[in-house]
Amino acid sequence: MNSPPRNTAPRALSGGAFRWLSAARLRAAAAFALGCALAAWPGQKAGAELPNDPMASVQSLPATASPHWMWVNDIVFSHMASGKAMLVDGDSGHFLGELDVGFGSMRVVPALDGKVIFSPETYFSRGTRGDRTDVVTLYDPMHLAPIGEIVIPPKRSSNMPMMANTELTDDGRFLLIYNFTPAQSVTVVDTRSRTFVGEVQTAGCALVYPTGPRSFFSVCADGTLLDVRLDDTGRATNGQRTSRMFDVQRDPVTEKAVRVRDTWYFVSFDGTIYPVNINKAALTLGPTWSLLSAADKAQKWRPGGLQQLAAHAGLNRLYSIMHQGPLETHKDPGKEVWVYDLARRARIQRIAMKNESGSIQVTRDAHPLLFSAFIESTILDVYNAASGAYLRSINDIGTTPTVLVNP
Amino acid sequence: MKWLDTWTESSARAMAKRTSRRSLLASLGALLVGASALPLLPVARGAETPKGAGGKPGQPAGINDPTSCDYWRHCAIDGYLCGCCGGSQSACPPGTEMSAVTWVGTCHNPLEGKDYVVSYNDCCGKTSCGRCFCNRNERDTPLYIPFQSNDYNWCSGSSKANVPYHCSTARIVSVAR
Repeated sequence: MNSPPRNTAPRALSGGAFRWLSAARLRAAAAFALGCALAAWPGQKAGAELPNDPMASVQSLPATASPHWMWVNDIVFSHMASGKAMLVDGDSGHFLGELDVGFGSMRVVPALDGKVIFSPETYFSRGTRGDRTDVVTLYDPMHLAPIGEIVIPPKRSSNMPMMANTELTDDGRFLLIYNFTPAQSVTVVDTRSRTFVGEVQTAGCALVYPTGPRSFFSVCADGTLLDVRLDDTGRATNGQRTSRMFDVQRDPVTEKAVRVRDTWYFVSFDGTIYPVNINKAALTLGPTWSLLSAADKAQKWRPGGLQQLAAHAGLNRLYSIMHQGPLETHKDPGKEVWVYDLARRARIQRIAMKNESGSIQVTRDAHPLLFSAFIESTILDVYNAASGAYLRSINDIGTTPTVLVNP
Repeated sequence: MKWLDTWTESSARAMAKRTSRRSLLASLGALLVGASALPLLPVARGAETPKGAGGKPGQPAGINDPTSCDYWRHCAIDGYLCGCCGGSQSACPPGTEMSAVTWVGTCHNPLEGKDYVVSYNDCCGKTSCGRCFCNRNERDTPLYIPFQSNDYNWCSGSSKANVPYHCSTARIVSVAR
C-alpha cells in the first residue's frame, strides 16, 4: 500500500492569507502543542512519547454482568425498523454498548445463566417492505454480537412494549413469545436445543406470565386467566381458564404486572392491587388492597406509565409510578414513585423523581438501584432503591426508551 | 381474513352505536370496539400538532382542523395523523396501504351536534411518518381486550404490508344513531 502524500494541507492552503502557514511552521506549532500537553499530563516525563494505538481495537465486556447494569430497550418509534437495546452501568453512568434488534422491538431477554441474550426480532427483506422474517437472535453478552438465530413464525405481536411480550419459563429452558395477527397465540422456543417448538393457542388471552418451569398464564378479555402447562418438550399439555379474577369493565388491571416469588402483582387503573398466587394445583387470587388512601384518592393520585411497577424480592418492596389525574390517564408518567412494604401492604416511602418517569426497574442485588426512564425523554435517572436518594442521570439514551430489563 | 374484517367492522359499528346512546356525557365520544392505531407514545397529546381552524368559543382551536390532535374525529386516535403525512383524515399517503382491521370509535362533532362512528384505519408499508403525533386514551383498555386497546399496531396481519406502521386515518363510517 502506498504511503499517503505528505504536506497536502500546506499546499492546499498555500495562497492568500494562509501563505504564512508553511509546512515548517505547522510542524513547529504541532510539536510545541504536543510538548505542552505531555508536560501537563500526570506521570509523563518530558520527552516521553505516547505509544501508537492498535488498529481494529474493539472493547469487550466482562464475562459476568454487574448487578447494577441495566438494559434500556428502545422501539425507536419514529424509525421502527431500527430498534435497539442499550446497556448502561448504573454505578458509573457509562454507556457500555448496544444491540440492534430490528423492527418493532419489544425487549431483550438475558438467559438465566447470563451466557446468552435472546432477542425476538422482525425483519423485512427490503427494509420496511418485502418478505417478513421473525427470528430469535442469540447474542454473545461479552461482545454484544449475534452468534445465532432461531426462525419463528412471523406472528410476533407489534404493540407498545411490555415485559410480558416475552418471558422465560422459571428454569430458563423455554422462551415464550406473544403473537398477535390479530389471532392470539404464544410461540415456544427451546433455548437448550435452540429450536422452535411450536405454538400454544391462546384465543381471547394475551401476553405471557411464567408460573413455573413448565407453565405460564395469559390474561383473558373476560378477566379470567388461561393457565397453560407444558411438557418437557415445550408442548402444551393443558390449558384451562380460571374463574374470573378481574372486573375488566369496572376497573381493569393493566398488563404491567411484576412478580415476587410465587405472586404476580397486577394493579388496576384505580390503584387496586390484585395478587395472583401461583399454587401447584391452580392460580388463585389473594386479598386485594389499594395503593391509595382515601386522602390520596381525593387528591386524584393514580398509578400510570408504560412500565409502571417494579419490585425487589429481598426487600419485599413494590414500587409504583404515581401521578395526579383522571381515569383515562393510566399511561401517563409521574413525578413520584411510591414504595410499599408487601408484607404490611403499606406505603413506606414517596420518592420525588428528578424527571418524569414512565418506566422503572429495580436491580436484584442486596444494594439495589432504581432506574427510571420516560419514552418521551432520553434521560435515564438512577436512584438508590433502598433510600430513594437520587444518584445520577445518564443523558442521550436512545430515542424512545421503553422497557428496562435486568441483565 | 375477509370474513374477520367484515365481522370486525360490522360488530364495531354496532357496538359504537350502542355506546354512543349510552354515553351522552361524553362530549367527545369514545371508541368501543375495533382496532386502532399503533404503538403510541403514551402521553404528549398533540405534542407537535399545529394550531388550526378554530371552533366556537370554549372549543379547542383545532376542533375542525384534521391536522390537529383536537380535531373532533380524533377522540380515540393514537398515532401519527395522516393529514400531516401526505394523506388526509380519510385517505392514506401515496404508496402506503390502508389496514383492513380497524379500531372504531364514536366521536361527537360539536359543529353540527351529531355523533359519528369513526374508523381509525392505519396506513401501512412505510416507516413511521413522524409528524403530528396524537394520543387520546378515552376508553382505552389493556392489550388483553384487543379491540378496545390502542396499544396494538393494527397493521399487524390485516395488511399485505404486514406490520410497518406509517400513520392513522379517522374515517367517518356512519352517523351514530
